[in-house]
Amino acid sequence: MVTTVSVSPAHRIASGRRASYLRRKSALNCVLVAPALLLSIIVVVIPGALTLLLAFTNWSGIGFNFQFVGIDNFEKILADPVFATSLRNNITWLVLFLTLPAIIGLLTAALLLGRKKMRTFYQVIYLMPYVLAPVVNALIWQTVIYNPHGGVFGLFGIQPPSGSAATSLYAAAAVDMWHYWGFLTVVYLGAMRQTPGDQVEAAIVDGANGWQVFRNIYLPSIRPTLLLMGVMAVIFSFLAFDYIYLLTQGGPAHSSEVMGTYAYAFAFSSFEFGKAAAVGIIMSFFGLIASVLYTWISRRDVTK
Amino acid sequence: MTRKRSITAAISIAAAVAITMAGCVGGSSSGGRQTLQLWFWGAPPQQQETMQKVLVDGFNASQSRYTLQVTFNNAVDKNVQVALSAGKGPDIVYGSGPAFSAQYAVQDKLADMTAYAKKYGWEDRILTPMYQSGTVDGKLYSLPNSIEDIGVFYNTRVLEKLGVAVPQTYSEFITVMDKAAAAGLYPSVTGNQGWKPVNQNYISLFLSHVAGGKTMYDALQGKIPWTDPRIEKAVRASADFYQKGYLGGKDYSTLNFDQSMQLLSQQKSPFFIGPSLAFQFASNYFNDKAGNTADLGYMTFPTVSPTLPTPYYTLGTTASLSINAASKDKDGAAEVIDYMMTSSFAQEMNKTWPGYWAVPLKNFDLKSADYTGLSKPFVDSIKSTIKGVNDGNYGFFVGTFFPPATATAFTDIDSVWLGTVTASTFLQNIEKTFKEEQAKGLVPPLPEPAN
Repeated sequence: MVTTVSVSPAHRIASGRRASYLRRKSALNCVLVAPALLLSIIVVVIPGALTLLLAFTNWSGIGFNFQFVGIDNFEKILADPVFATSLRNNITWLVLFLTLPAIIGLLTAALLLGRKKMRTFYQVIYLMPYVLAPVVNALIWQTVIYNPHGGVFGLFGIQPPSGSAATSLYAAAAVDMWHYWGFLTVVYLGAMRQTPGDQVEAAIVDGANGWQVFRNIYLPSIRPTLLLMGVMAVIFSFLAFDYIYLLTQGGPAHSSEVMGTYAYAFAFSSFEFGKAAAVGIIMSFFGLIASVLYTWISRRDVTK
Repeated sequence: MTRKRSITAAISIAAAVAITMAGCVGGSSSGGRQTLQLWFWGAPPQQQETMQKVLVDGFNASQSRYTLQVTFNNAVDKNVQVALSAGKGPDIVYGSGPAFSAQYAVQDKLADMTAYAKKYGWEDRILTPMYQSGTVDGKLYSLPNSIEDIGVFYNTRVLEKLGVAVPQTYSEFITVMDKAAAAGLYPSVTGNQGWKPVNQNYISLFLSHVAGGKTMYDALQGKIPWTDPRIEKAVRASADFYQKGYLGGKDYSTLNFDQSMQLLSQQKSPFFIGPSLAFQFASNYFNDKAGNTADLGYMTFPTVSPTLPTPYYTLGTTASLSINAASKDKDGAAEVIDYMMTSSFAQEMNKTWPGYWAVPLKNFDLKSADYTGLSKPFVDSIKSTIKGVNDGNYGFFVGTFFPPATATAFTDIDSVWLGTVTASTFLQNIEKTFKEEQAKGLVPPLPEPAN
């Protein structure tokens, strides 16, 4: 049996109009997306691609003269004991930032949650170190705390931790965590306040104590925030630079060296931008793993 | 937006871009004069004032074609690095030394100044090692603004309290430091807080005073390896010196030059071991207002090796001056540099800013009697250093005369001091790094010291 479908002229006109509308809409979408896309290409894609390219060259950072050296930069970096120290320090940094500020932030947020008065005031106070420039925070600690003459450690006649190879990394991490935990408190508090009140009330009515409410109601409720902050901590731990550079410059004897300061020395002291780019690629690799992991966990949660 | 508003906005944007460009690239014109840019280190206000008065006003009044503008910034090294790489930057390039300039010279970012050297007779006027250090393949690319030696600042009051005279020999020097430690003082004060390359001062000192300038010269020429036993001995000696607490005790990593000089003035130590440029920090704490100017003395570091003459110097430079290859007013930039390479300029700058302007002239015709305050001992110290250079009794400062990656590798000397790396492994790494840079032609030419 043959079926003939006839399309009326009116329908054809409507269909043509719709196609034209979609084309116009698509063009408009492209125009609207173009600035952000262009900016991303200029600021992210091109420098990223160039960094990847330069990691395989001996570029000095000056002019346009360079040769491709294959995986030479990566071989040299991986054979350098300072790189191993840097990587180890980045991992230590990561462990510190995944635990201490998160615990302190959660604890403080939980305490602030039950406090109606002065809560905003405390949040502002906790955020203050976060909004100050790292150079200001570092200077404050260097002068007031870590100063062997006139600082807190000097007052007690103790060698400042920033000056010892055994403790320099922790000295820098302490300042960075000091500036960071207040921010976490505010974020966690915001997330905890989104927890449905009826769930909390029901748990209390059922006789749950403070810890049980926190463990069984608040914690599952803020899980996405905890996860996001955790992933951010992983990414930023491998990008750590400012406080270490300002307080210890990676010393003494590379004891607080991280990949950021290691790459910086190649780029701006030795004029070995090729090697600096190679270190940058390795740093990005760890950030990429964290991002993929985050995406995978998020998707798994949505599927559930 | 109306048409009028659009035009106004376009003009505003164009004006903003024009002003920005004028700030970025030298060679703009103001009042019939060409503007010359110099980016300089972010010196303290009093020293900026001196610079403005002596250099800027002095130069601008000395001729009618150019107007010099100096911009002060603490991140000048990095700013210059980025600007030059982009083919921009100031007309006169202030850099961290000849090794810094050599990098840019081989990439054609700096102008060849040989013709200006001939025009102004720089080779005849400037100390030979200093002139040669700025050349690459026989062409001149930079001149140092100032020479320096690594010596010892001492507080006479502390020495009096310890009941000792100013030490004349290395063993006397060590004895005084031991006495100071026993008295609860720092044996000496210094530190690398905030600027890790400070380490270069002390490895340069021991390479010069233990291995000797001639051995360093041979290593820099590639005639002997950096693993040579004489060099290894020098590295071990520096580690021994550090481990005994003779470099700022346990506070080396938490003190800087400024704090160290303050501690010296507070009589917390008899000595501050450091470069002669530290005179500029000294003036903050030893001055007529505090009434302790006469308490500060400066001496050459006592010669360590008995085979080397006394006094023996560790020759370095404070900074370097070059001409940007992208400058539109290279003649004007050369005129500024020439203005800075004169006795009269040195004379004026040193009146209020001792430490930074030991202009490397063969005939440093300054009389300490004409000066007051700390300028007096500074001028004396420089005259003595220049004599030492002319006699060939000097070693080389790593940051000035070594290629950049090798200098950076030497900055890691604290790994040897703290025992995380052996002297032998450290020097093997230096040898490897140096060979790579030597192959690239990055070793500045040097005159051979006499000893």
